[in-house]
Amino acid sequence: MTDMKTLITIDRRVTLKWLMGAMAVGQLAACGDGAKGISWPELEAIKAQGVGKDPDLLNPVVPWPLTMTAAELAITADLVDLILPAEGDLPAATKVGVPAFINEWVSAPYEDQHKDRVLIVNGLAWLDEESKVRNGVGFTQADASAQKKILDDIAFKDKVKVGLEKPAEFFGRIRSLTLGAYYTTSEGWAEIGYMGNTPGTGDYAGPTPEALTHIKGVIEGMGLTYTAP
Amino acid sequence: MTPDDPHDAVVVGSGAGGAMAAWVLTKAGASVLMLEAGRDYNPDEAPMLSMAKDAPLRGVGSRDKEFGYFDATVDGGWDMPGEPYTMAEGSEFMWWRSRMLGGRTNHWARNSFRMGEYDFKPYTRDGLGVDWPVEYKDIAPWYDKTEKLVGVYGTNTGLENHPSSGPGVLQPPPKFRVWETFLKAGGDAVGIPVVPARRAILTKKIDERQACYWASGCGRGCGIGAAFQTTTSLIPWAKKTGKLTIATGAMVYEVLLDASGKASGVRYIDKATGTHKEAKGRVVIIAASTGETARILLNSKPNGRSEGLSNSSGQVGRNLMDTVGSNLSAYFPQLEGRPRYNEDGAMGLHAYIPFWDYGRVKSGEAGTPRGYHVEIGGSFGDPGMGVGGGLDGYGASLRGDVKRRYGARIGLTQRGEMIPNKNSFCEIDTNTKDKFGIPVLKFSFAWSEHELNQVKHFQKAMGELVDKLGGTFTSDMPEPGKAISKGGEIIHEVGTARMGKDAKDSVVNQYGKSWDVDNLYLTDGSVFVSKAHKNPTITIMALAMRSADNIATRLRTGEL
Ligand SMILES: Cc1cc2nc3c(=O)[nH]c(=O)nc-3n(C[C@H](O)[C@H](O)[C@H](O)COP(=O)(O)OP(=O)(O)OC[C@H]3O[C@@H](n4cnc5c(N)ncnc54)[C@H](O)[C@@H]3O)c2cc1C
Ligand code: SF4
Repeated sequence: MTDMKTLITIDRRVTLKWLMGAMAVGQLAACGDGAKGISWPELEAIKAQGVGKDPDLLNPVVPWPLTMTAAELAITADLVDLILPAEGDLPAATKVGVPAFINEWVSAPYEDQHKDRVLIVNGLAWLDEESKVRNGVGFTQADASAQKKILDDIAFKDKVKVGLEKPAEFFGRIRSLTLGAYYTTSEGWAEIGYMGNTPGTGDYAGPTPEALTHIKGVIEGMGLTYTAP
Repeated sequence: MTPDDPHDAVVVGSGAGGAMAAWVLTKAGASVLMLEAGRDYNPDEAPMLSMAKDAPLRGVGSRDKEFGYFDATVDGGWDMPGEPYTMAEGSEFMWWRSRMLGGRTNHWARNSFRMGEYDFKPYTRDGLGVDWPVEYKDIAPWYDKTEKLVGVYGTNTGLENHPSSGPGVLQPPPKFRVWETFLKAGGDAVGIPVVPARRAILTKKIDERQACYWASGCGRGCGIGAAFQTTTSLIPWAKKTGKLTIATGAMVYEVLLDASGKASGVRYIDKATGTHKEAKGRVVIIAASTGETARILLNSKPNGRSEGLSNSSGQVGRNLMDTVGSNLSAYFPQLEGRPRYNEDGAMGLHAYIPFWDYGRVKSGEAGTPRGYHVEIGGSFGDPGMGVGGGLDGYGASLRGDVKRRYGARIGLTQRGEMIPNKNSFCEIDTNTKDKFGIPVLKFSFAWSEHELNQVKHFQKAMGELVDKLGGTFTSDMPEPGKAISKGGEIIHEVGTARMGKDAKDSVVNQYGKSWDVDNLYLTDGSVFVSKAHKNPTITIMALAMRSADNIATRLRTGEL
């Protein structure tokens, strides 16, 4: 597992700055006795300062304090690496700073992020409780196969275990945030094949010969007429 | 000169309409004072090429920066602290503003379609709405001059009611990308045209402005000058003449009249000091944007007259229109896993679907009197925070799904004509003031069956197109009443001080000159008579150029 220091400080960015020293340390939010009877309490809205209507776009700063506890971050790290584990040369989610991003996200003083915070903070607590009930240890102490057994009950739309709809909603949300955070990095761009954000000179180059041959085949295969661009 | 000196012309607003007027007048030798409520701005501060990961929350929109962190909008958006507007009961209206030099031209999408012959004479064609006091051919030369000056890429398609530009006016459009070629194949099969779009973007360098370098969203502002905004063109050019004085942070709230009933200037709040000041000119030109222009007129009460200034017709604030909008999104398995290349291009439309069904409109079979166009979006773009939408599971299979689905979705966005109706207007809310103490606008808005029927037409046509290409919509087809945008949401609001042939039912003449006050002109979208489906800004600029030309002549002859 990635050590705590890396989790907190991996900063995949050159320019974006966070308010540091604001990391909360403490226990997971206690919210119920055992996974079955767990409640998903509303959390107090974060009142920190937002970016405002005229921030410096060339020197972005995250002006709100980060709020996740070390324990929450540790579970998040394990979870996002199950969502996007390392594969060959492709880095795992923690290696490109996804937990730090999720911390930034759930700590933001905006409505959308507040909704996610309620889902995620409670969801992480649920995961830990569920692991204790099933495995006798918290989520991060459970081995990978035991962790995955829990995910298998909440990660697939058509196979959500009855009664686990709320955890499934939590998982869907953190998956979506993980994917978004991951594929907006340089590593994510390289993997998905995004080749833009690169200024060029002269006319727009347009599709490669390979891309054109491919689409011509697709179009003609459907019985339609291809027009070269 | 300083803002305290009398100028030939006082121009309120520095967006599309105001900056065009200021440029034409200063070039003609007139001294111009431009009053702008927002702060000074130029796109040297635009975050071109910054990655989403360098922004808080990966750049997604928030209450503070509604169109995303990197969007150029300064001190504006749907919600402006301390500068509210209100809505009549049962009405919803969205009003996007920005408070910066250059106004909303700093971040508009640059889509620039001319209005055609039909669009200027809607009443004559179908008995709905009102005709313009001009014909297309009166405005055509001004479109040519404007497009040439601004720099617009596109082609002359020769299609019905989509007029051609003069020879040598347009810049060459960028090539279609793969998904646009794909869409065209489907369109050709079902009789829906997919043709090169027109945008106010340079593909060839002119003057100090560079050609597009095919990267960085234009909504962030274009520091190389390729995407048209007044802060890299009209305003610096006007400054170079030595005839332009700019006062930023100048919130105008009323027009001053002299004893003879002519405009002598305007009154504004200097935001830096909070003091009320007067600016004097031989002619007053208001281009504070459709809503704000109406607000200034209605808040000006010459001799205590409650109906406001230049409102003997009672039409100020009336006839508020916006573009009809609705969206569909379709997924095409045929586009899965296609070969990668750089699809950023001009970061917006290379192709679009112009309205094509005029024949069936005429015969009544189309079921809707007015047309729309379709703006299309797809591409291997920056994956963004939405990349995980609709995905399932975790681990290796998830990675595979992300890659397979990338670039296989096409968005189809309706942009349609609204017919003015009596339920859509703005007025002064006498109970609410902004932080400056200026009474605010209250909006009333309603669509009619015509717009809803148009949404139906769009949905049906797009259904045929998507079907032909083996695609599926990513969500169920919503009811037109649910699918249609809110009033103002498309940010094409126009019409609150319409032009006309007759002082009885219009506010200004065909040159934007007030019927009631001989030296008061309006040069923004407020003067529109109808809201064709074509995005308004190129027309705002062409009309502003024509108005300013008229003003320059009158200044020169001493008539003003
Ligand atoms: C995201 C976005 C995309 C768009 N895309 C397109 C498109 O593709 N094609 C298209 O045709 N149009 C588009 N538009 C619309 C386009 O931006 C407007 O039509 C155009 O800018 C209107 O020009 P204007 O001069 O009337 O107003 P603005 O450009 O808004 O300028 C008005 C100026 O007046 C100032 N002002 C306001 N009130 C006062 C006051 N009381 N005193 C002094 N100054 C004042 C404002 O601060 C502002 O700078 C888009 C708009 C947005 C926001
Ligand atoms: S895409 Fe082209 S026009 Fe648009 S901002 Fe980038 S360089 Fe400028």
